[in-house]
Amino acid sequence: MRRRLAGYAGWLMLGICLYFFENNTGTRVILACSALVPLFPVLRSAFFSPDGAETEKAAEARTVKSFIRQETDEPGDVRAYLPGDPVRCIHWKLSAKKDDLLIRDTVITQEPAEEIRKSIPDAEADRKPLRKWLPGVLTAAILLGLLLLLAIPEARRGAQALCNRLFAASEAVNSYAYRYFPVAEHQSVTLAGILMIFNLASLLALTVVARSRLLTLCIMAATTILQVYFGLSFPVWVNIALYGLLALVMMKQHPSRRVLMTYAALVLAVFLLVTLLYPGVDAPTETASEMARDRLSQMAQRIAGAVSEMPVGEMETRHVHTQSLETGGRQALTEREFRLVTVEEEQISMPYWVNYLKMILLLLLAVALVVVPFAPFLLLNARRKKAQEARKIFESENISEAVCAIFHQIISWLDAADHGAGNLLFRDWSDKLSSLLSEGYAVRFSECVEMFEEAAYSSHTLPCERRQQALKLLKETEAALWTKADWKQRIRLKYWLCLCE
Amino acid sequence: MRPQLENVLREIEKVIAGKRKVAGKILMAMLAEGHVLLDDVPGVGKTTLAVALSRAVGLSFRRIQFTPDVLPSDIVGFTMYEKGSGSFVYRPGVLNHVNLLLGDEINRAASKTQSALLEAMEERQITVDGNTYPLEAPFLVIATQNSVGTAGTQILPYAQMDRFLVCLSLGYPDYEAQMTMLRDRQDANPLDKVETVLGKEELIAMQREVRAIAVREVIFDYIVRLATASREHEDVEIGISPRGALFLDRMAKAKAYLEGRDYVTGADVQDVFMDVCAHRVLLKEGAGAGTVKQVLEELLKKVETPDRHSRFPGMLKK
Repeated sequence: MRRRLAGYAGWLMLGICLYFFENNTGTRVILACSALVPLFPVLRSAFFSPDGAETEKAAEARTVKSFIRQETDEPGDVRAYLPGDPVRCIHWKLSAKKDDLLIRDTVITQEPAEEIRKSIPDAEADRKPLRKWLPGVLTAAILLGLLLLLAIPEARRGAQALCNRLFAASEAVNSYAYRYFPVAEHQSVTLAGILMIFNLASLLALTVVARSRLLTLCIMAATTILQVYFGLSFPVWVNIALYGLLALVMMKQHPSRRVLMTYAALVLAVFLLVTLLYPGVDAPTETASEMARDRLSQMAQRIAGAVSEMPVGEMETRHVHTQSLETGGRQALTEREFRLVTVEEEQISMPYWVNYLKMILLLLLAVALVVVPFAPFLLLNARRKKAQEARKIFESENISEAVCAIFHQIISWLDAADHGAGNLLFRDWSDKLSSLLSEGYAVRFSECVEMFEEAAYSSHTLPCERRQQALKLLKETEAALWTKADWKQRIRLKYWLCLCE
Repeated sequence: MRPQLENVLREIEKVIAGKRKVAGKILMAMLAEGHVLLDDVPGVGKTTLAVALSRAVGLSFRRIQFTPDVLPSDIVGFTMYEKGSGSFVYRPGVLNHVNLLLGDEINRAASKTQSALLEAMEERQITVDGNTYPLEAPFLVIATQNSVGTAGTQILPYAQMDRFLVCLSLGYPDYEAQMTMLRDRQDANPLDKVETVLGKEELIAMQREVRAIAVREVIFDYIVRLATASREHEDVEIGISPRGALFLDRMAKAKAYLEGRDYVTGADVQDVFMDVCAHRVLLKEGAGAGTVKQVLEELLKKVETPDRHSRFPGMLKK
């Protein structure tokens, strides 16, 4: 237990350090790191002895169990057989020796075992009454809280205001977040706060009581998804506390390594993605946004015609904007200008990555434009050279080599014209060739296959006329392919022939 | 085909009609100095084929009928105390002075009897009480086994199966062959008509020639790729052993020799692949791949043929 607390203290220290780091750099490291909290139990069980994870009750139960097992394993007394004794208790070896049925007496040892088992406090039974009614009550409480929160106008507006304050406190506040949350001012947040805290507490209590890992995971996932969706994060301390609490709740049940691992990896991935895609607001954006807002408020004042005191903080500014928008609706020109500036403000606070993407795309386009016109020439030249290389071997001194090369040329042409028989031995090709090309060609092909096999697999030198024979087959192949080809294939054939010239 | 071997096949055909292919394969195994396992139902002429072969080649022939109570000493012989001379005398078993041994129904023998054959088959020598006796060359074992599952049989151990060069199956003769058989056996035993057309020494010389046949690198490459692919196949428990690859090479050489060539082609390897490898492959339990034959055919289709690899004669594609 002490170790666990020490671990959490360490985590809190780390969190505080990261918070200061974040304040200085304007990144979202802390948000990503708060996702690591659920990992803690796993790390703990990896670094410390597994016994630490075991509760005292479980350990006690285990010793009792092993105690029982030892008792039953021990050889007990042996007594004479009485009618009604189970057959499997007969001590056959001794019975054979004594010429009388003997019983391995295990009844005595079993009885205390039963007693011990009964004397173990039944944790399940203890929990039962609590289990019966508490989840229902808690669920009802949550529903009631939510209903109140939504039904009472006072509470609803209070919730909006509370949200806004939370965002204001957040380190990652963005002006475009206001689009999602209409401003509510001069609202008492007390009622909403109480209801929300009441709801959260009930929810946590429900997870503890119901011992449901699924519920905890759902809360975690919902929190994460909400934060991701709005591109905002709660203040650091909220995140640390929330995730820490949820992790604690999960840990209290049997710590299951795999579920936690999967979950932690998932959350980490999501948070990293968020951190990358929506980096926290940096200084230039903030300044530009500030300027746009200033202009906006000045304009609003001009429209309203009344110079009120300068509001401090974004919410108030926004409030003035809204008001001014209502009052200055009639003046079309200024209204248009106002809208333009609003758009500009939104653009400024848009996430950065779109611009990067645009730049990358442009760069790619430029490279493609430069390269594409030259590509065919490069490709053709390379192919031509390759074809010439292949042709050179046809005239080689070594007849076997020449025959092999010529034959492979034939095969590659048949393959390219879709007349090839795939991964068959060449001698088995003639069936397909006779059906696709002409009968006579297939016969000559199979005649030449033997020659090819001799060239490829034997070590003796071949007579010179073999080369001529192979070249003749090559010519025949060209002719046969030409007669069978349609116009598309003829163009391709002509192209290959030109390459080989 | 070489004329002498052609003659041998013709002599065998006098007795068993329409089984030229199997007879050729047995001849190949003989040339490759391997042993043959015939896996078939009773009464299709396994014994007759072996006897005809031994007569045509002029080999001494013996047969042993395996039953559960045949003992190892029946095969390798035993030493016995002789009262008269007061010394131990070696009484040879069935393996002495025999060129062609027909082991009938080998899978009915006890496993210790089967293993007594192992040393003889592999090393071509037997050891009894510390004395080693070499066997007469050429030495060929043709073992028959009843199809697995027949009453009183037990599956041959994998090690024993692996030692046979090929596993063949005769199969029932077709209509024509059966008619010929019935006609021929009316008055005389056609086995008497078989003449010796090949001498023992000639056979030994041929075996030497087979060993000398050149095999190109591409063929080795093909064999190794086939063996590896069989081991890596998802439905295969035990693939082709290195010994299997070696036997495949030897059998392909014999095939090339039989056809009168002095080089091995990819077709030789493909032709003998089934016979050499089918009994070496064990499929996983419950694998949905069908039979061993289907798996091996799939391998032949999948593994790239040496023809495609041999752009330059005999060398591997760079």
